Amino acid sequence: MLLAILIIPLLAGLLCLATRSRAVWEGVHVAAFTVIAGLAAAIAWRVADAGTVTALGGFLRADAFSALVLGLTAFVALVCSVYAVGYFRRESRDRRVTKSQLLRYYTLTPLFAATMLFVPLADSLGVMWVAIEAGTLSSVLLVTFYNQKTSLEAGWKYLIIGSVGISLALFGTIIAYSAAIGVPGMEAGRGMNWSALAPVAGQLDKTAMRLAFVLVLIGYGTKAGLVPMHTWKPDAYEQAPAPAAALLGAGFINCAVYAIARFSVLADKCLGHEFPGRLLAGFGVASILVAAPFILTQRNFRRILAYSSIDHAGIMIAALGFGGPLGALGAVLHMVFHAATKPLLFFGAGAVQQQYGTPYFRKVSGVIQVLPWTGGLFFMATLAVTGMPPFGIFQSEFTILSAGMAAHNEWTVALFALGVAIIFAGFLVRMSRLVLGAPAPGQARVAECPWKLGAMALAALVVALGVWLPAPLGALIEQAARILEGTA
Amino acid sequence: MTPPSQELGSHLITLMAALMLVVQMLLVVQKMLLAGIRLFALQSLLLAGIAAAAAFFNHASEVYVVALLTLAGKVLFLPWLLNRQVRRIQIVQEVEPLLGAPTSMLVCGGLTLLGYMVARPFTHLGRTGSNTLAVAITLLLTGIFLMFNCRKAVTQVLALLTVENGVMLAAVALTSYGMPLVVELGVFFDVLVAVMVLGILVYRIRETFASMDVDKLNQLKG
Repeated sequence: MLLAILIIPLLAGLLCLATRSRAVWEGVHVAAFTVIAGLAAAIAWRVADAGTVTALGGFLRADAFSALVLGLTAFVALVCSVYAVGYFRRESRDRRVTKSQLLRYYTLTPLFAATMLFVPLADSLGVMWVAIEAGTLSSVLLVTFYNQKTSLEAGWKYLIIGSVGISLALFGTIIAYSAAIGVPGMEAGRGMNWSALAPVAGQLDKTAMRLAFVLVLIGYGTKAGLVPMHTWKPDAYEQAPAPAAALLGAGFINCAVYAIARFSVLADKCLGHEFPGRLLAGFGVASILVAAPFILTQRNFRRILAYSSIDHAGIMIAALGFGGPLGALGAVLHMVFHAATKPLLFFGAGAVQQQYGTPYFRKVSGVIQVLPWTGGLFFMATLAVTGMPPFGIFQSEFTILSAGMAAHNEWTVALFALGVAIIFAGFLVRMSRLVLGAPAPGQARVAECPWKLGAMALAALVVALGVWLPAPLGALIEQAARILEGTA
Repeated sequence: MTPPSQELGSHLITLMAALMLVVQMLLVVQKMLLAGIRLFALQSLLLAGIAAAAAFFNHASEVYVVALLTLAGKVLFLPWLLNRQVRRIQIVQEVEPLLGAPTSMLVCGGLTLLGYMVARPFTHLGRTGSNTLAVAITLLLTGIFLMFNCRKAVTQVLALLTVENGVMLAAVALTSYGMPLVVELGVFFDVLVAVMVLGILVYRIRETFASMDVDKLNQLKG
């Protein structure tokens, strides 16, 4: 089952490469990602029963935390594949893309999805690194999809900054590996396996672990988009086509946070919570505070999504930094709600950009009159992502704030709350004019694309259901939080 | 495994690591692209030698694979690929760094000191001592410096590859039996693909901007 979920996207990619018909590409995509989502659900079910599931002699391993991230990635990939049908039909009709560009999208996306699904399933921290780097490489040409000067610039930044970051992460992984030398039972390369390291983390060499954790946090933090390594993000998210940007912003970000979380469990057990906790909380809150002014003054509704993603990466990392049972629960909840909400926001922005032919706030207003359903769902996503109650993100942010208070980090919590409040205000002001403002004279209602709307409706359903978590999912989240807390 | 041969191996590795550092310094002040590529090949050859020595003296046959991969990939294939790239887009132009050679040397000296300071607490780890680790950290730091200092696309690729060399050196220095083979292969494959993707981008940038100056990539702001 674990192997199948990795092979299916690869086969789908090959199938797309071998055919020349757009209808086939679309069908293969949606079908493959539907099957993958089903498999991910089945894996989660088995994990909830058995605790862990392994394959290939332990090379692939899923516990509750992996199963959750796997499921989130599969969900994001599924809604993106539905949305992409409508998005690219419109792009070809407006002659913005050629058939060879479409082929590039339909072959690279399954490959990218396969690497993202691989990340949580790899037991070896080294293999996990390889998967994340492979994810970066397979998505570069999606960022440069439109072949324009600006997309090349974005792609170059994405790859160069990402590669430097990820080299640091590899360095950190190697040092963590060396920290296990001399610990009994760690011979023959087992010291790179998370399942072998976690039980003996307390015996690892402390000097090495400290350096390793700093390097890993900076390295994977670059991929998650933490300040000050975030500069590639607005460019990449703006230049990539909307469905690919949604994959990056709702799927890939979880992989990076997942990697940091795995290492933070090891560092907590080895060094105690204070050192890793302070680093995580510092980077997290700094990211929120730096994102805030950019959101407040943003003129481009594609780039604002990237700053929102920097903000949310910061929130998740700060939650890990606050630690304790509430911090772990908050981090996991936030990963779930963020992945559920973010695609909707990207889809809305993509649909509006296609309709108006511009990504600038000042040129667009009154979307709700022209595209009523899209506009309505877009606005709902805005409310959900900025943490309006009753949506899920309010719940997770509240849990994280409580975790901070429980850890007696009052000042950090105050800064956290300040940042979140500024972002809430900035987002709402911009978006309410975009969606609810008066439309330009002479603009009538236009027909909405059923595929794009379908994907948005599906995503919106999940966002709405976030208020009421189904019991099995709730249990899985609790199990995952216990793993992050280090008590499972 | 007799102690004298181990000591000899350790000296040999330290010596080659020091040479890698020297090559890195030359690379930082190098102005011609083709010479830079050759220096990178030389540095990778030293890395392959270190891996082979570590494999021989520690009786860790898996590390021979690392040596072979480095030789095939970083000494032969990548320099060939980069060379072809540079000739195809016809750039012989000199690298124009932000900081001149003397200042760069000074910065790199500082970074070397920093590398030794970070590596000091690690004397008890790894058989080849903290010297090799210090060199690895210095390669990493100077590689990143080179990336910021030179705003040319191909030089940035070279800088990235020297960072990668530093990481691989650390892998050999810190562990006597190397990383698990599957990880080693995966990392190797990723590096190859990364350079190829970068190559595609360099070519496109050259076509669209008629320049390889990364400073021209400055339209996206805010």
